[in-house]
Amino acid sequence: MDALIARADAIRPLSELKAVKTRDSGKGKAKANSKGKSKYNHIANKKLRSQLVHQHALNSNLSKNALETQQNLLSLAADDAGSIQVTGPLEKTWRVSQDEIVASVGGEAAKGRRELTFGPGQGAKRMKWSQNGKGGTKVSSVDWMGGNVNCEVDLLAGSNLAGAGGNGGGGEAARDVTFLQDQSFFAVAQKRNVFVYDRDGVEVHRLNNIIDPLRLDFLPWHWLLVAVVHELWASILHRYDHGNADSCAPHEAGCLQYPHSNRHNAVVHLGHQNGCVTLWTPNLPKPAVQILSHMGPVTSISVNPSDGGSAGSVNMPGRYMATAGRDGKVKIWDCRNWKGVVREWTVRGAGDVELEWSQKGYLGVLSGGSVNVYHPPHIVTPYTGSSSSAAPPLYLSHPIPHKPLQCLRFEPFSDVLAIGHNKGLSSILVPGVGEPQFDSLEADPFENAKARREREVKGLLDKIQPDLITLDPSMVGKFDSAALSASGSSLVATAAQSLLDKSDKVKWGANVQVKNVGVDVPFSRMKRVERLAVQGKLDTTGAGDDSEDSDVEMKEGGDGDSDDEGGLTREEMSKKRKMRGKNKSLKRYLRKQRKNVVDPQVLAVRAKVDRMREEAKAKKLQMKAGGAVEENKRKSALDRFKAGSGK
Amino acid sequence: MVKISVLQHNPALHVPIRPGDPTPVQRNLNPSMHPFAKARERTRALNAAKLDKIFSKPFVDSLEGHIDAVEVLTKPLESLTTVASGSWDGGLILHNLHTRSEMLKLPQAHKGKISGLCFADPKGSRLLSCGVDRNVRLWKVGTGDGEDDSGASSQEPLHVYPWKTSFNSIDHHRSDPLFATASSTVQIWDETKSAPVSNLTFPTSNETVSSVRFNLAEPSVLASVGSDRTFTLYDIRTGKAERRVVMQFRSNALAWSPTLPTMALLASEDHNLYTFDVRHMAAPVQIYKGHVAAVMSCEWAPTGVEFVSGGWDRTVRIWSSREAGGKEKGPGGREVVYHTKRMQRVTSTIYSSDARYVLSGSDDGNVRIWKAKASDKLGVITARERASMEYRESLVKRWSVDKDVGRVLRTRHLPKSVYKAGQLKHTMLEARRVKDERRRKHTRAGEQKPVAEKKKTIITEQS
Repeated sequence: MDALIARADAIRPLSELKAVKTRDSGKGKAKANSKGKSKYNHIANKKLRSQLVHQHALNSNLSKNALETQQNLLSLAADDAGSIQVTGPLEKTWRVSQDEIVASVGGEAAKGRRELTFGPGQGAKRMKWSQNGKGGTKVSSVDWMGGNVNCEVDLLAGSNLAGAGGNGGGGEAARDVTFLQDQSFFAVAQKRNVFVYDRDGVEVHRLNNIIDPLRLDFLPWHWLLVAVVHELWASILHRYDHGNADSCAPHEAGCLQYPHSNRHNAVVHLGHQNGCVTLWTPNLPKPAVQILSHMGPVTSISVNPSDGGSAGSVNMPGRYMATAGRDGKVKIWDCRNWKGVVREWTVRGAGDVELEWSQKGYLGVLSGGSVNVYHPPHIVTPYTGSSSSAAPPLYLSHPIPHKPLQCLRFEPFSDVLAIGHNKGLSSILVPGVGEPQFDSLEADPFENAKARREREVKGLLDKIQPDLITLDPSMVGKFDSAALSASGSSLVATAAQSLLDKSDKVKWGANVQVKNVGVDVPFSRMKRVERLAVQGKLDTTGAGDDSEDSDVEMKEGGDGDSDDEGGLTREEMSKKRKMRGKNKSLKRYLRKQRKNVVDPQVLAVRAKVDRMREEAKAKKLQMKAGGAVEENKRKSALDRFKAGSGK
Repeated sequence: MVKISVLQHNPALHVPIRPGDPTPVQRNLNPSMHPFAKARERTRALNAAKLDKIFSKPFVDSLEGHIDAVEVLTKPLESLTTVASGSWDGGLILHNLHTRSEMLKLPQAHKGKISGLCFADPKGSRLLSCGVDRNVRLWKVGTGDGEDDSGASSQEPLHVYPWKTSFNSIDHHRSDPLFATASSTVQIWDETKSAPVSNLTFPTSNETVSSVRFNLAEPSVLASVGSDRTFTLYDIRTGKAERRVVMQFRSNALAWSPTLPTMALLASEDHNLYTFDVRHMAAPVQIYKGHVAAVMSCEWAPTGVEFVSGGWDRTVRIWSSREAGGKEKGPGGREVVYHTKRMQRVTSTIYSSDARYVLSGSDDGNVRIWKAKASDKLGVITARERASMEYRESLVKRWSVDKDVGRVLRTRHLPKSVYKAGQLKHTMLEARRVKDERRRKHTRAGEQKPVAEKKKTIITEQS
């Protein structure tokens, strides 16, 4: 038997078995992550603490490594990134024309500068790029890299884009287009319904329950098609999974003009005729946010997809929103704080102002007969000069003769800006606007058919449920702060409990807090101090420091009644003492509670306290009277021998 | 002069060089490039938890052949495939797990129930059986390499050891030619002698010993559990009982941990399993609650981290032992429960030697093979598949605190009878607890102290 115990002790001594039940306390690593350790010192549970320290060490290592890798990758990619470098203060980037750019970059890059002409009145009215920028859409889908038009859907060929208002004469008007999960399908909002076409222009689906659609957008991570339905009400967020279109959250939104979905929290921003911008999630029957942004109809909205441009910036992506209105103003808003505009300026030129942010945070504004591109850091820095409506410094400008200019889109992962206008489509080179480093696990411009199929399946599997769309996307994986504060509010005791606490304090000392005495807390779930108190084993010495309690006062009060403390009467004294610490908010709250709540328990306790007080008073009076106390004592047989007893 | 450069991707870097090559991957870890990364990972974790449930088909096969209830199962220490089972009609079958065939069948090994079985050597060439017919028999069952060699085995026992009382359990010494039997006393036998060499019994005991096991690390130490609710330790060198504890309820089975030498597992009649450290017998180290009827058998996995138990409630349960360094909790914070419609009361359970399978013998006369991990995939697993399984596992672990993921993990189907019995048991225990609380509340403070659950189980410790 001794040999057995010796063997077992060699593995783990008995004391350790009793003390700790875990083996993986990570003693070896403890020194390495002393910083993490100090961070979690407040956690009482040993096991949880060691786990957190371990996790902290892992995370810090991971983030360090990730940062290094990222910096290496970015330094590689920085060579590829486009830029315009000026050598002197007199040179301005906005003076550089497209011809100069094309001439200086030459070769393959110059092919980004392109003019596609569809004939007068047939130009691109609306267009979108797919996720990876492989194919741009106007109504006809263009494979941009190959430089050929993918398809011209039949009904579009005639008069689809002819009327400026989209009211094509004979054919069906195409009002808006969007790619679905990738470049192989696109949805077109036509006069009657939304139709889905594949890349060859074959109609694959007709969404019957979206009638008279106006604008379209697609949320790629949620697989939701956002359709804004005609003028008077909007039905947004139609679920679209390969043939099943199912209205998931129709909303009435008033008359509206322009939707844009925030890439980072999937909230749909809608601009209205009355100058309002509303933010919609499928979980609320009303807009999450509503602001009056313009004195006149809102013509365009865009949300910044970048995190501020520079590496290591603290800005979260999707923080800034730009709006343009028919009042000729462009405004930049901070989406975390809607108190006012960050910056606003007026643009010139007739027609609706269109704008869009690029991946790197450049803002392209289409107005009148030209497109202007602005720098990232200056767009979102509040202007401090004398005139509040100065435009930020211009980065690049390009005039286009084919008015009206109808839309502009930055190509992802490229320095190309496509502009749809009356006669067709022209694209210009804007150096520096595209993200040079794409992530092939997210969006890859060079993916082949197999990778595309795989991404489609994986995307469907990872589809996020629409009820997770909120203004703050970091909500997932965090503690529910509302629930936490609710559990914290149980600290606020009722009046009855606070009174009971008082009497318990008398019994067991002031440092005991018997919570929830009224509630039936089983013994096994009490804290140690409470258990000791219930068992009557609590050490009550050194507990009399707090004399707030009137009962305690009476016990230790002695005979020095009203004479000490500068001639104050007893009532005044107790009042004065009661005033101490009264301005604590919790105490004030409790006092009010106590005053206002009357229940039998409180009354009973009050009566008991009063009775005890009376008794104590009577006792003290007797003490003062002297021998009176002795009368009450039980008579003993030896009393007869006392002096004077026989008389 | 203005220097202008435009972003260009070199297509040659992003397409495979030769057909068949993997496509080059380019990463950008900037969080703004990965919107909804957390939400998507959560969805993936939810799917992983669901897939785990979908793939959990633990039942592998059932080994038939007995015409009455299976009473005992045993395996040799060094064989992956051999398993012996004995039944109530005295039939004894040697199974091959690999081919799922019978290597040897002895329809009348004993008259009446076979109550104990053990292999006499690690290879599994000789088998000891004992029964209610008051005999211990030694069988030659093969050459010990797990092959089906009917020539080497015989229908007649090598040796018969008769005695005056019926036996309940038998265990063989790890190295010496000794074995211990349990009847009304605990006896040590020498294989070469026809009468017991010594009789180890606690002086005041008059119990029926129901199970006896040699310690795995220190083979001269022996433990037994018996009908007078005791757990007793013996040393065969001193030849006497060392110490014992008397518990509230009797235990049905006993198993020593293969990795922690002093750790013993007891399957108790009060629906619980207890682990004891024999250095400190005043209280069990841990109580494992879950069964809703008496636990009839228990056995550690060869890893010493998990153990399996079979109960009167017709379930087989797999537990993770915290003190042995296992996971703190199983999936959903509870043990894994296996059941089928036709499985009756489980009388014996063992782990296979590779810890991947669990075997259960039950009242319906079948020996069933289960996977130790319910969603384990059998067969060849490719590296990509293995990687994806591991990724899913870590995802589930990471997101197990999430409400939805946790709910998927927690949900388990139980037979209605077991579920209802569990509810009833909970109600009864809760009522008892409440009554205790009330009684304590109405007695003078400090007079009636609550007793820790672990200490309640022990009545006294004797040595």
